[in-house]
Amino acid sequence: MDLHNLNPSSLKSRFTTRFLRALTEINARKPIASSSSPREIFQRYRRIKDAADTSMAYSVRSRRTWSKATLWRLRTPSHRRRLASFGRRSSLNKTRTTTTASHRGAVVVQITSRGGGLGVQLEELRELVPGGEAMDLCNLLDETAHYIKCLTTQVQVMRTIANLYSLE
Amino acid sequence: MEKDEAFMAEVLNRTASRQLTWNTEVLNCATEKLGNHFLNPNWDNSMDQSDPFESALSSMVSSPAASKVPVSGENVMMRELIGKLGNICNSGDASCYSTPLNSPPRFDLSMVNLLNHSTLVPFSADPGFAERATRFSCFSTGGDSGCFNGPLMDSFKLSSMAGNSDSDKKNSGVSRSSSPENAESGVSKEESSVSQQIPSQNDAGTRKRKSIPRGKAKEIPSPAAADAKVASENDESNSKRSKREGAPSGNGNAKASNDGNQKQSKENSKPPEPPKDYIHVRARRGEATDSHSLAERVRREKISERMKFLQDLVPGCNKVTGKAVMLDEIINYVQSLQRQVEFLSMKLATVNPRMDVNMEALLSKDMFQSRGVLQHGIYPMDSSPAFPCGYHPQQGLLPLNNGIPNTTETQFSMKTQGFKLPSIDGFIDAHPQVGSMWEDDIQSIVQMGFGQNQPQSYQGSISTGQVKIEL
Repeated sequence: MDLHNLNPSSLKSRFTTRFLRALTEINARKPIASSSSPREIFQRYRRIKDAADTSMAYSVRSRRTWSKATLWRLRTPSHRRRLASFGRRSSLNKTRTTTTASHRGAVVVQITSRGGGLGVQLEELRELVPGGEAMDLCNLLDETAHYIKCLTTQVQVMRTIANLYSLE
Repeated sequence: MEKDEAFMAEVLNRTASRQLTWNTEVLNCATEKLGNHFLNPNWDNSMDQSDPFESALSSMVSSPAASKVPVSGENVMMRELIGKLGNICNSGDASCYSTPLNSPPRFDLSMVNLLNHSTLVPFSADPGFAERATRFSCFSTGGDSGCFNGPLMDSFKLSSMAGNSDSDKKNSGVSRSSSPENAESGVSKEESSVSQQIPSQNDAGTRKRKSIPRGKAKEIPSPAAADAKVASENDESNSKRSKREGAPSGNGNAKASNDGNQKQSKENSKPPEPPKDYIHVRARRGEATDSHSLAERVRREKISERMKFLQDLVPGCNKVTGKAVMLDEIINYVQSLQRQVEFLSMKLATVNPRMDVNMEALLSKDMFQSRGVLQHGIYPMDSSPAFPCGYHPQQGLLPLNNGIPNTTETQFSMKTQGFKLPSIDGFIDAHPQVGSMWEDDIQSIVQMGFGQNQPQSYQGSISTGQVKIEL
């Protein structure tokens, strides 16, 4: 890493500041007692995880589909989300079928045969990457690349923080 | 989107940097090698050397074309040039095949400037030669053969270059008359590769060449206009020679293979001036020139480009070939990253930070103002476990500073920001050292804090322990 250019507005530093803020907030709200029940620990874990994802998505500022999807997922309550996802899924399926139907002739054969080989993995990737359901392969790969980059940053920072905490 | 541009810029930079290094290499060796040969005015000698080049040539060239070449001085010289360029192209490293044809033409131009031979001019006027050269250039521009194609194309360009623009037009006219479709394909191909060079070169030679496509643009409306547009729109990476997105049928610059000849003549007669937002694609030899398949090919190339980028991101994917396996790896990696995030957040949930008060204070407004101050603030806690519980922090810090002069543990001088740190007041008082070390501290802390030198942090704590013992 370049020692001389600590970019104050880099993804890493943005994420770090936000995440630490959220973390201290969580710790302040409910300090960890030595006798926490597993349930409390689990709740805490969920909150921290959500905080991490949210702060990462905020650092990206909705420029990416996956960040938008993450923020949306964490903001809207689950019942509204279910309704919305119904509408989204149905429209998505429609668009998919129409696009494949528009290509005629030999090209259709090419598409389907190629798609068939990768179909399962594509679906998996779509599930993994938030907001990946509504994208074609090309954009999906783009999003995946950016998502991987952000995830590695997140893991790095969190690992450092955890090490620092645990060393005390 | 910004991130898209950043992504593309990254990819571009990578390919450009690869190109650049390769180009400089080739330029250096090419100028040495060819310079020696071509400054030798005795063509008879060079004829002896032409045999290896002959073989190289024959491997590149189709047999009828080769058989047509009469043994005259200029033609042999031309073939020699081709051969040498081809050899140099071969001897370049493997990136030769992935880098654009810019590179051979680039050092070729330097050769032209070196040469200043008038001998090139008469043989440029040879219509038969022009026809043959265009036929050579008709070979596919697939990734591997692209390099082979380059020198042939270059020699053709050389020939047209050596004269002035008038003779160029005459030459092109001649070539056109001899074999309209092939010549047009060759010409348009030349234009495409020439126009590709235009943004990247500043030689006087290129200025001459610039006139060629412009001049020809009037004569051949549709392909030339398209190529001029190509030149103007050439903001994409030059990594793939014919890699542009296909506009459907109207703009088909379908490269004339023997199949596509009739199509091309049809398209040439079509009304020109495709709209500017189309990006242009050239069908490769042996591929269907259907607009659908062109678009398909472009899409496939985009996808493979992105897969390559992902290959760089995902560790351990260099040996993997094939989309399916690659996707598997990517999926595994993303899953593992997500699981790591979950695990770490679980860890954070269970770990009780001892100095959470410090955290709050550290996150106060003042800290946010300075760069990297958080990492700075976190770090002192890292060294604190080295001390036994009862150890007074002040005393502990003094030896710390003395014992480890080279490390950044002097960041305890964070008092310059003037925060209220109840439990770290001891540290602050003990160390009047001011934030003159601030910048260095921040940088090194970031380095340490972000896992680059995490072993070093343990070293720090170990050495503090040792120092303590000394006391």
